[in-house]
Amino acid sequence: MGDLTTGFQRTLSAATIVAVLALGACATPPEDTEALEAYREANDPIEPFNRWIFSLNQLLDKLILRPVTLIYRFIPETPRQGVTNFLRNLDSPVILANDIFQGKFRRAGTTAGRFITNSTVGIGGIFDIATNFGLERHSEDFGQTLGYWGVSSGPYLVLPLIGPAPPRDALGRVVDYFLDPISYIADNSERWEWIPPTRVALKAIDFRSRNFDQIDEIERTSIDLYATVRSAYRQSRSDDIRDGAPGPLIPVPQISSDYSDEETAAVDTE
Amino acid sequence: MVRRSLAGLIAIGAFLWWSLPPVAHADTNKANVFIETLGSEVIGMLSDPVLSEEDRVAEFRRLLVNGFDLRTIGRFVLGRHWRRATPAERGEFEQLFEDYIVASYAARLGRYQGETLTVGATRDDGNGDKLVGTEIVPREGPAARVEWRVRAIAGNYKIIDVVVEGVSMVITQRSEFASVIQRSGGQVAGLLTELRKRTERR
Repeated sequence: MGDLTTGFQRTLSAATIVAVLALGACATPPEDTEALEAYREANDPIEPFNRWIFSLNQLLDKLILRPVTLIYRFIPETPRQGVTNFLRNLDSPVILANDIFQGKFRRAGTTAGRFITNSTVGIGGIFDIATNFGLERHSEDFGQTLGYWGVSSGPYLVLPLIGPAPPRDALGRVVDYFLDPISYIADNSERWEWIPPTRVALKAIDFRSRNFDQIDEIERTSIDLYATVRSAYRQSRSDDIRDGAPGPLIPVPQISSDYSDEETAAVDTE
Repeated sequence: MVRRSLAGLIAIGAFLWWSLPPVAHADTNKANVFIETLGSEVIGMLSDPVLSEEDRVAEFRRLLVNGFDLRTIGRFVLGRHWRRATPAERGEFEQLFEDYIVASYAARLGRYQGETLTVGATRDDGNGDKLVGTEIVPREGPAARVEWRVRAIAGNYKIIDVVVEGVSMVITQRSEFASVIQRSGGQVAGLLTELRKRTERR
């Protein structure tokens, strides 16, 4: 546990630096009411700082992750799918813990069943046999658990290397780290300490690879990629918290053929 | 570097949003039949080996313009900035918006890989529109959960939003456009410039 905490202290001091930098980069709230409303909806008080980190992450992608992934993609699809399955199987204990924290015992059963089946019959998780048995994968993490119990995400935050991580989800990652048995295995023996960084790197490559064309495409067609990701991140997280159940949808106003100002005013009150 | 499947979802969403746009039929009054028919029409178009690339793009634009209510969408996406826009800006926006959508996504048409569309249950969205639940099933890998928000307009169904794994395309795009306008000093002209840049290139 000793080293685990030291590792965390390092992360924490990095977080402090980030926070101090962030304060210096605060956006000024706008004065007119409509703009103020939009400002609150974006809930991004340190946007200039977040944009800066976002560009940094984009740069790292262009310089490192994307080129590495391009090479990785020379490996045929079947072994790459094995890597995906293996990495996902390793996430099972954390998913299971969060299923339980949310009192979702049926889903916990699914996760446990998947982990046992895939770790054994699926040869250490390389094959996702459980899905064939009707045990379908779902995600959970402590950020979702907090959200499930009513904690809101807080202001938007982008972290170096990690990406979008508003306070609730950032805290969730910290808790998930401590929930993960692998953190302890790697911590108790120098022989295994290569595991966590390797796993993080593999996860990044696996993710980039699975979404290679789509990410390139969205980067090319977006006018403001930062704003697109910010909005989609929030919507995607609340969908995760609801486990995909129908959520509230903003109504799309009617328009008639003439574009009167009254009508436009109605649109604006949405 | 964004972990989880977020960027993937956006990307898939953007792809589906514009690459599976169907056409309206007056003779069907069920929203799910509308989506089902249009889905097969688009897939038919995409997998037609005879169609030239040029014809495909033209057909894509036709299906898109008929199947989606782009005026309602464009208006929603511009949000509160519509009121401030001059009549000239409004007119230009509507034209550019359509061009932008077609230009952005027509390039992806060649990438169709045998995905199928399975139509599931339809529900009310609580605002008088229907949400048709579907799954886009690739030849391999997990299916994507896609909901089509459709509205009956003058006897025809039109799509007004596509929600992919909980991410609404109109809400995402509205947020993006608002940000572009805000960053150009609150001027709609700034957004128009950006849209023009992206539509002229082709």
